Amino acid sequence: MKGQTLFTWIFTVLAALVLLFIIAPLAGMFLDSSFSEVKTTAADPEVQRSVWVTLVIAFSATIIFAIGAVPLAWIMARREFPLKKVVQGIIDLPVVLPHTAAGIALLGFISRDGLLGGAAQKAGILLVNNGAGIALAMAFVSLPFLINAARDGFAAVPERTEKAALTLGASPSRIFFTISLPQAWRSVVSGFIMMFARGMSEFGAVVIIAYHPMIAPVLIYERFNTYGIKAARPASIIFILVALFFFVLFRTLATERRTIFRSEDDAAD
Amino acid sequence: MLRTERVNKHLGSFSLREITLEVFPGDYYVLLGRSGAGKTQLLELICGLTAPDSGHIFIDGKEITRTRVQDRGIGLVFQDFALFPHYTVRENIEYSLKIRRLSKEEADQRVGHAAEEMNITHLLSRKPYNLSGGEKQRVALARTLVTDPKVLLLDEPMASVDASLKDSIRRMLRRLNREGQTIIHVTHDFGEAISLANRVGVMHNGRIIQEGTPLDVFNHPVNRFVARYAGIKNFFRVTFIKSYNTCSGITDKTTKFRLPKADYPASGLLIIGSSEVLLSRQGAPGIQMNNIQAIIDDIVPSATGYEIAVNAGDYFYVDITHREMEENNFVPGEKVFVSFPPEAMRFVGESNGKKNSEQ
Repeated sequence: MKGQTLFTWIFTVLAALVLLFIIAPLAGMFLDSSFSEVKTTAADPEVQRSVWVTLVIAFSATIIFAIGAVPLAWIMARREFPLKKVVQGIIDLPVVLPHTAAGIALLGFISRDGLLGGAAQKAGILLVNNGAGIALAMAFVSLPFLINAARDGFAAVPERTEKAALTLGASPSRIFFTISLPQAWRSVVSGFIMMFARGMSEFGAVVIIAYHPMIAPVLIYERFNTYGIKAARPASIIFILVALFFFVLFRTLATERRTIFRSEDDAAD
Repeated sequence: MLRTERVNKHLGSFSLREITLEVFPGDYYVLLGRSGAGKTQLLELICGLTAPDSGHIFIDGKEITRTRVQDRGIGLVFQDFALFPHYTVRENIEYSLKIRRLSKEEADQRVGHAAEEMNITHLLSRKPYNLSGGEKQRVALARTLVTDPKVLLLDEPMASVDASLKDSIRRMLRRLNREGQTIIHVTHDFGEAISLANRVGVMHNGRIIQEGTPLDVFNHPVNRFVARYAGIKNFFRVTFIKSYNTCSGITDKTTKFRLPKADYPASGLLIIGSSEVLLSRQGAPGIQMNNIQAIIDDIVPSATGYEIAVNAGDYFYVDITHREMEENNFVPGEKVFVSFPPEAMRFVGESNGKKNSEQ
């Protein structure tokens, strides 16, 4: 028992140190800023606009790319095909790339001389230095979070329920929408939240693609470069609070749903 | 009604081979075999969830080998029921009716009828997670029966149900069959087959090795595997010896049996029912009686008394009642005689049995 107590103590101390490492800088930032500074910055139209732009673009990017990402996740969970591992590697690639490098790669693709950028320009759409380019940058680095979470969700759906639906006369598309997606929904939503959160906080790839319209991470960087840490701090606090609010809100909504599903699963076991 | 002709399917390291069977209208056909024999895979082939590599499947004389699952008119109830956890019982049952775009009135009527048949009307608004195994079973059956399947396939329907509920499920399945529903039922339990089937197919290593009525299979197992499966424990491979006026068989471990006079091949399998073997300390009287000396190895309580394993070189299994045990008070290690008349022995052809049992 003594050994177990020592073990517990050591692990508790190590865990506390890691938590402290995460909390301390954030707490320090809050303590070093006065309420009036934060209030003044919150009233700054440039800050308000940047937060708003960040949220709208991150949300739009997540929604739009989910249309392709969810089917890709289903294919990865349910189908066997040659080079599947390579495809999985490609999906994970944005996670390991330096984000500025990802931005450079994407810039080549969506600039006027690039494949997508050229085609978009012919249609009268400019992808660089506008919201569309920012959405692409955010999506590029955050898509793996949605795809992988949704893939795990689809993989966890009992295949027998899909087979049962087939024997009851359902078409594959009906099975997807009435059996697979509802059962994988919590993982899809969880992936959605992670993609949104990750996209919202992206700086490296976005700053290469579009400095303007200025999203919150770029604004914070710009204030730091121009006016120093004291000016960047209140903007950082505001963005952190907004990001946390939305993250907690979505997470709570998803957890409520997950709790319902989990209680069903537990009872089924 | 349903016929498969030389169906083959390779599944990784396992294959279904040359499956030919015919199920007639109103049949209760039980596919019997242990886990991994290929029973479930055969059901999936029949209902179209997988396609055979070769061979043909017919229903009502029409080939359905490549017909889509949705268009076969075959219902399958999975071993774990595969209820849709996010739907209520009612939504589960009406799932197929919505696909067929039935009017709400007709759908409600059919759901109500199926629920009544399965005695689950009170469960219609519940979600599957808080149902018992037996209730889930009935919901799964109702969900399949509303599709009016020509053939109902049941994959181990008793496996996930409490022992106390098995009787009521058995009664329900018998009633369904009596009402005309053709059923193919997969199980590993010979008792289940005996109590339900009018025909049995025994599967082993991806083949159907014997077909017939349950009684036929029990009385005339084609090989050692089927005999063991039918719950027969006393079976012995023997070499037959015929002298001037006696016939006998001798095992590899030199256990010698006195047999009724008849023509025997060179070798074969002898089967003796456990309840036909007597156990005593002095042997049974009678000149024709087989009396073999042995030592009690183990005594295992059973539902009706005890099963005693005795070692005579070969092992014999003897069923005795509680009263016989109280009277004789047998103990492990004790020297006894196993006795049985020559008529208690049944003979199974060796060549067939050997060939099949070694597949």
